Amino acid sequence: MEDLKHKKLLIVDDEYDLREMVEGFLRKEGFTRIFQAATCVEAQRIIRSAKPDLVILDIMLPDGDGFSLLKSLRQFSSVPVLFLSARGEDEDRLLGLGLGADDYMVKPFLPRELLLRLSAILRRVYAPFRQEQRPIFQLGRRVIDLESGIVRTPSEDVSLTAKELVLLTKFYENRNRIVTNDALCQAAWSDDYYGYENTLMVHIRRIREKIEELPSNPEHLLTVRGLGYKLLVKGEE
Amino acid sequence: MGGTVRILNRFIGATMLISLSLLVLNFLLLLIWVRTGTVEGNSPAAVVRHTAEGLHAANEGYVLEAETEALLDDQQVWAMLIGSAGQVTWEHSLPDELPAHYSLTDVAKFSMSYLMDYPVFVWEHAEGLMVIGYPKDSLVKYQHILPTDWVKNLPLRALLLLIGNLVLVLIVALIIGSRLLLSIRPLTQGIQALAADREVQLEPKGMLADLAQSVNHASSLLHQKNASLKSRDEARSNWIAGISHDIRTPLSMVLGYASELEEHHEIPPLQRKHAGIIRYQAEKLRTLVSDLNLVSMLEYEMQPLTPKALRLAALTRQVASDILNAGLEPSFTLEMDDINETAQIYGDERLLLRAMTNLVHNAIRHNPQGCDIRLRVDLAEEKHTCRFIVLDNGRGIPPEELADVLELPFSANRKYARPSGHGLGLPMASRIAKAHRGRLMLTNGPAAGLTAELELPCLEAR
Repeated sequence: MEDLKHKKLLIVDDEYDLREMVEGFLRKEGFTRIFQAATCVEAQRIIRSAKPDLVILDIMLPDGDGFSLLKSLRQFSSVPVLFLSARGEDEDRLLGLGLGADDYMVKPFLPRELLLRLSAILRRVYAPFRQEQRPIFQLGRRVIDLESGIVRTPSEDVSLTAKELVLLTKFYENRNRIVTNDALCQAAWSDDYYGYENTLMVHIRRIREKIEELPSNPEHLLTVRGLGYKLLVKGEE
Repeated sequence: MGGTVRILNRFIGATMLISLSLLVLNFLLLLIWVRTGTVEGNSPAAVVRHTAEGLHAANEGYVLEAETEALLDDQQVWAMLIGSAGQVTWEHSLPDELPAHYSLTDVAKFSMSYLMDYPVFVWEHAEGLMVIGYPKDSLVKYQHILPTDWVKNLPLRALLLLIGNLVLVLIVALIIGSRLLLSIRPLTQGIQALAADREVQLEPKGMLADLAQSVNHASSLLHQKNASLKSRDEARSNWIAGISHDIRTPLSMVLGYASELEEHHEIPPLQRKHAGIIRYQAEKLRTLVSDLNLVSMLEYEMQPLTPKALRLAALTRQVASDILNAGLEPSFTLEMDDINETAQIYGDERLLLRAMTNLVHNAIRHNPQGCDIRLRVDLAEEKHTCRFIVLDNGRGIPPEELADVLELPFSANRKYARPSGHGLGLPMASRIAKAHRGRLMLTNGPAAGLTAELELPCLEAR
């Protein structure tokens, strides 16, 4: 994780104050090798010479726009790009992502969000061998191991079916929040999910049989009438 | 095209009606005329009958009643009585040139026509044959000799004649009418195109050239107006987009440094709290800027939609769970009411979620004391429209402000000063509905509270 802080970052924006601000945040977070560019020409020169590991790119630049800069960049470099733009329209976002940008953020932004997204890109690109672990968590006296698809009770191990695993993963990703029936059905049966509500209820009943002490009186996987379900996981927000 | 056929039908119908009434009128006039010309009290047949009846035998001679004599003189008619032997036994004003004796052949000859060019008429008399004569050239005598069959078929012939006339009228009307329509058709097409907002360029020729030129002129005027309206709308929308773009960069700095200060551990808590307030207000400004941009794009119909088939029930559940997940004050409840599961629409998911969320947030914001909110989805009986309904039991909106709240906050159409909050939520929802060919309706509930209905056209069953 620490070696990600040694990655070279390039900030391209025509506004000096904004570049300074972003560089300030990044330095405070421990990034040390930060470059700045105010124009497309300057950006191209730095990318060729310094070979940054990530580019934060504005769209409106004095000598061109970020989209065409990205296009010409892609002909000789596959450096990850995060758009940071004052243009918030959907088309711009889709155009940017379609050109191969790794993320698209709209100004004004919270520094924390920029750091999170930036780190996510760096991790994804430069630390790909870290195995993505599926979560393991505790519900009452049971341990739910989504990695191996097993519910461990003090007495025995119960395995989860594929659909139950999908649903429980969805629940865990949205823990302590309501997940609608529609979102659950879509997760389990993809887009053409209409009409699976009854099947969903059957799966929920089976999951409860595996994770609840009293499946008829659930404490962890609660029904939210008319909307969907909510998985309560203690010890997390 | 339908309009042209209708005009032709009308034209033919009117022509046939006019022809038919003319025919009837003529027939009636003819009838009246013939009657007045012949069936007079003084028709020759009546005069000869009168004369025969008014001549009485009296001591070796005859006496004509005075009244009858006056009638004869009045009509300038002469009269004679031919006895059974052929000799004239009585006369009145008989011209001298006429003989005093007639053979059977003479009688047979003149009884049907003329006696020495005098139109004569005969009547039976007890003492012989009464003959009266009119002055030469005063009357014309015709004989009609018709076969019995011909007379019997007369009604049929008359009917056939009538039908023949009507058919003739129909054909003539069709020819004239279609020729007229042929010259009108480009004009009607042009006017229909005008109504459909298409550009029209007609070739001015024929008798309606002036009209064609007027239509062309109207079309080019309309086109210019539309173009200038569109460019003005675009300019306004671009202006707002430009402003929001320019606000975003400075706002980034405010938001960035404020949140930096807020998290800075060396700064006293009170100052950190102040920085937090700056950060919060900057976030509000950020929302306002992007809302303003969206509303202006919607207002000038420049917001692109990325529509797909959506189930209104699923959207409703997502809106409700998002709001519940974000945390709802305990003084509020949010519940699902009747939800129609089948109602499907074709729309932009992000925009519709936005509009629906705005409606629920509106209920929350207008009722700081708390209220119960119920969501409903229903499908109209004819299945062409469906509605997302937000019912609350809060304070409602005064009736005089109901129409007002859908107007943009700074619009001249808005009569009342806007309440706190930027007030873009309802105007935005209303414009999103409009962009989906739907509408937003606000009513105060029967008991209390506000009912907001978002009506949208259904996705037609495939």
